[in-house]
Amino acid sequence: MTKWGMVIDLDKCTGCQACTTACAMENNTLPGENWQDVLYYSEGTYPTAKLTWLPRPCMQCENPSCVAVCPTKATYKDMDAGGIVFVDWNKCIGCKYCMIACPYGVRFYADEKPVVEPDIRDVFPGEGQLHAPPYQGPESDSVRGIGIQPKGVVSKCTFCYHKVSKAPEGVADLDEDNPDTKEYTPACVRTCPPKARYFGDLDNPESEVNRLIADQRGVRLKDHTGNRPQVYYLGSGADVPAYQSPKKT
Amino acid sequence: MNKGNILQGPMGLMLMVVSAIVALAAFGYAFLDLQSAGHRSFNTTSQIPWGQPIATYLYFALASSGLGMIAALSLVFGFKQFLPIAKRAIYLSVVILLAGMAVLAMELGHVFRMLWVIPLNMQIHSAMFWMGVFYVADLIFLLWKFQKMEGQEWDSKTSKQIGIASFLAVLLASGNLALVFGMMSMRPFWFDGLMPIYFYLTAVASGLAAVVFFTYLAYGFNRNAMPERTRVMFEGPMGKLFAAVLGATVLFILVRAYTGFYTNTPEVNVVWREFLFASPVYQASLWLGIVAPFVVMLIAGLRSNPSLQVLVSMAVFAGLFAERYFFVVGGQVVPLFRGTWEWGLIQYTPSLTEWTLTIMGSAMLFALYAAGERFLNLSDMPAEPATPEGAVAAA
Ligand code: SF4
Ligand code: SF4
Repeated sequence: MTKWGMVIDLDKCTGCQACTTACAMENNTLPGENWQDVLYYSEGTYPTAKLTWLPRPCMQCENPSCVAVCPTKATYKDMDAGGIVFVDWNKCIGCKYCMIACPYGVRFYADEKPVVEPDIRDVFPGEGQLHAPPYQGPESDSVRGIGIQPKGVVSKCTFCYHKVSKAPEGVADLDEDNPDTKEYTPACVRTCPPKARYFGDLDNPESEVNRLIADQRGVRLKDHTGNRPQVYYLGSGADVPAYQSPKKT
Repeated sequence: MNKGNILQGPMGLMLMVVSAIVALAAFGYAFLDLQSAGHRSFNTTSQIPWGQPIATYLYFALASSGLGMIAALSLVFGFKQFLPIAKRAIYLSVVILLAGMAVLAMELGHVFRMLWVIPLNMQIHSAMFWMGVFYVADLIFLLWKFQKMEGQEWDSKTSKQIGIASFLAVLLASGNLALVFGMMSMRPFWFDGLMPIYFYLTAVASGLAAVVFFTYLAYGFNRNAMPERTRVMFEGPMGKLFAAVLGATVLFILVRAYTGFYTNTPEVNVVWREFLFASPVYQASLWLGIVAPFVVMLIAGLRSNPSLQVLVSMAVFAGLFAERYFFVVGGQVVPLFRGTWEWGLIQYTPSLTEWTLTIMGSAMLFALYAAGERFLNLSDMPAEPATPEGAVAAA
């Protein structure tokens, strides 16, 4: 069975946020509600400071703690959809327990104070949905949390399931350079200028993602939580430094 | 009816009406806000999804459990000294739980949807699912038990069985509520297998505060107006129980703080150092709301003083409310990833609407309590059993 996975090569990633922007446009998320974000870190002090960054989508975990805690099964892992974790907007009661339980901080309760002003929900007010921007992706599917979310529910990255699901059966990789699969490649992967992102089937031994993970020792973030992400990182910098209070530095 | 109970007169009516008006006004305000602006009227964010309304719910739910446990002292374990407050404790346990549920309902994104999605989907892996199941069971047993008491059925077999079931439901509900937090390995400030023990202890402490305060309130803060057995209980065993429970609470907080200061884990260490102990509010609530009351209750000459008992109960109310708040928010203030544009601790202060919900819950509690004193005889207790000597003499 297909198990969709992503590989992000941090040695190639320039931290340009093209992925973040592409994701926001593809999925009509609110400004600041970044299903995909790039986080920046600095360690040390001038002149030996180090700046690192980390692109971070939903990890579509193999053992997703967000699924286990959800009291309504609104959050579920769909093995038939390549193991993508979805939020059923018709079932979510907005208890936000999944946001507490996700170790990666990639879930959003968009019915809250605007992260970025002006509040786009007032600029394009929506009926039944949080906002109604002039362009809306045509493929909404509230059972999978795709489209513009309604009030009072949680949303997250879907690995662009509306694209990925149309890929030819049995394909090992979804690659923006391959004309046959380009259209089905997740927006963040397709748009990444230095090609730091790869997307493919982790269950297919032929896939590029598997080769990269094996050859370049792909690692997963916060593996100690047992969530076992389906997103792997390559290169130096996957060592996210522990939180340190600014008071101490 | 007992004459000393001022809440059965005009005072009670006034308290009931005023509290009901406050509760309704607060509900109206919050409801309109939520209708027009949605959860934008809250200061919670996707980084701190659980704020003061959840802390308020937690406080109420645990105080309710504490009251259930206090009632069990006499009803299940046979500590007859505490019989005079059993019925009031059960009633308070019910209404405080209802108040907590009302606050929680206002916090959820879709409250009515819950009624069908939870039973239809049976997500038994979720601690929150069980929280719902156990608290509903708890509520049913409490009501049932109360109904038996209303029917003067204090000692029948069924009444005893319901008492035991109710006690078990209370343990399951509050213990499981603890696990909603305690099982979150990704939130190290909460991650603790002993969380249920901590919740049991603090639940009883807040339950005691409630029952002491509301009993005094019923008698116009005049202990001499209380029925004989109630007065005896407040003069003797009540203060000692309070001292013991507060002592254990202080110990528990101390041990947690000690580990917190010692560990290197930022999600625990930084929270204790820079969020809890750096806050004057936390400091005040800890020292004045928990430690000082403990000291007062520890001193034999002070613990039976009526004014001090009332003061201590109020201080513990406030102290434990703050504990719950700092506990809920503390688990979330250290960003999951430092780089989430958040370099320091995540900032959160409850909004006016969030405060309104806390007020709504509290006013609802007062209104329902006053109604209980007025229409149900909460001071009721079984007649004193004949002493063995008396029985022998009669024979
Ligand atoms: S990253 Fe978070 S939201 Fe995504 S599947 Fe894992 S636990 Fe769930
Ligand atoms: S907020 Fe929605 S998706 Fe998340 S745990 Fe609650 S019901 Fe499930």
